[in-house]
Amino acid sequence: MLDLATLLTILGMGMVTYFTRICGFLLLRNKTLNAKQTQMMSVAPGCVFISIIAPEFLTGTSGDILALLVTFLAALRLGMLGTIVVGIASAYGFNWLLS
Amino acid sequence: MSVSKPSQHAFVEGMLIAFPLLLGFVPVAFMLGAEAAQKDFSSVLIMFLTMVNFAGGSEFAAIELWTSPPAVLFIIFVTLMVNSRHIIMGATLAPHIKHLPKRKILPTLFFMADEVWALAMQDITKQHKHTPSKKGFRFDFYLGVALPLYVTWSVCAGLGAYYGNMLGDLHQYGLHMAFPAMFIVILVGMWNGKHNALPWLVSALVAMLAYHYLPGGWYVILGTFSGIVVVYFQGDSNA
Repeated sequence: MLDLATLLTILGMGMVTYFTRICGFLLLRNKTLNAKQTQMMSVAPGCVFISIIAPEFLTGTSGDILALLVTFLAALRLGMLGTIVVGIASAYGFNWLLS
Repeated sequence: MSVSKPSQHAFVEGMLIAFPLLLGFVPVAFMLGAEAAQKDFSSVLIMFLTMVNFAGGSEFAAIELWTSPPAVLFIIFVTLMVNSRHIIMGATLAPHIKHLPKRKILPTLFFMADEVWALAMQDITKQHKHTPSKKGFRFDFYLGVALPLYVTWSVCAGLGAYYGNMLGDLHQYGLHMAFPAMFIVILVGMWNGKHNALPWLVSALVAMLAYHYLPGGWYVILGTFSGIVVVYFQGDSNA
């Protein structure tokens, strides 16, 4: 079911995504940043990631929110894979217990 | 076209470092495909979307907002909003790749997904500590991270669209937690002391408020910028 609107949407998504990826590079390649700007740049990516996941605490079930807390504790100790496993298992467990 | 030894080595090193992440991509991409199938996407179509776009957050948002026929400009706009964080990520990567030829810079930026970028920045710091005289960015390492993730993401989204309906609602298996879990691990890795705390807290609160009161992907942008504004007004970190 590849109609024109679907094709245009997908190609448009690809274009704006690549635009966002190229844009920051083009803006900054010929600049040197001062100390304050460097500090802002170094904290910014963390702000991005935390902004993406913060709404999970609003939209999730109570089981999801407990699972997020357990996942956070796991992340302090375990690597990527272990944390993902704990995250999935705890979301399954808490939602099963609380439903 | 023989590949020299150190670069081959770096490619494999990238693959190995990305491997745990790759396993994390499997359930998340599967979820994406299953949700896309509910909006009448075929396996081929969701694979096409993920290969053109390769930015998971915006793909979930697009599928969520998908109608038949899709609201073309609205979905493209939300994609732009959700992915505007790449502008900041690209800016932090810029000083490390600007010496490269265009034929390397353009693919590097194409594959700059969140996780790829995070691993690349980690490697740059590590390489720089090791040999401060050299540029820290390794193109072959980067491809070793990016290409397997790119293929896995797309193939598993296709499988999710094909098999997803047989398994029923995937939320009951807790698979939806794989995505935030990945981001939590990346965040823990980025933590480098107390001066992160206030900007992160403000970002989180503003993002939640914006998510609640505003449409589309505004929450990512407003959350990010409010955190950066806090850094601007904070005193110099004595770290």
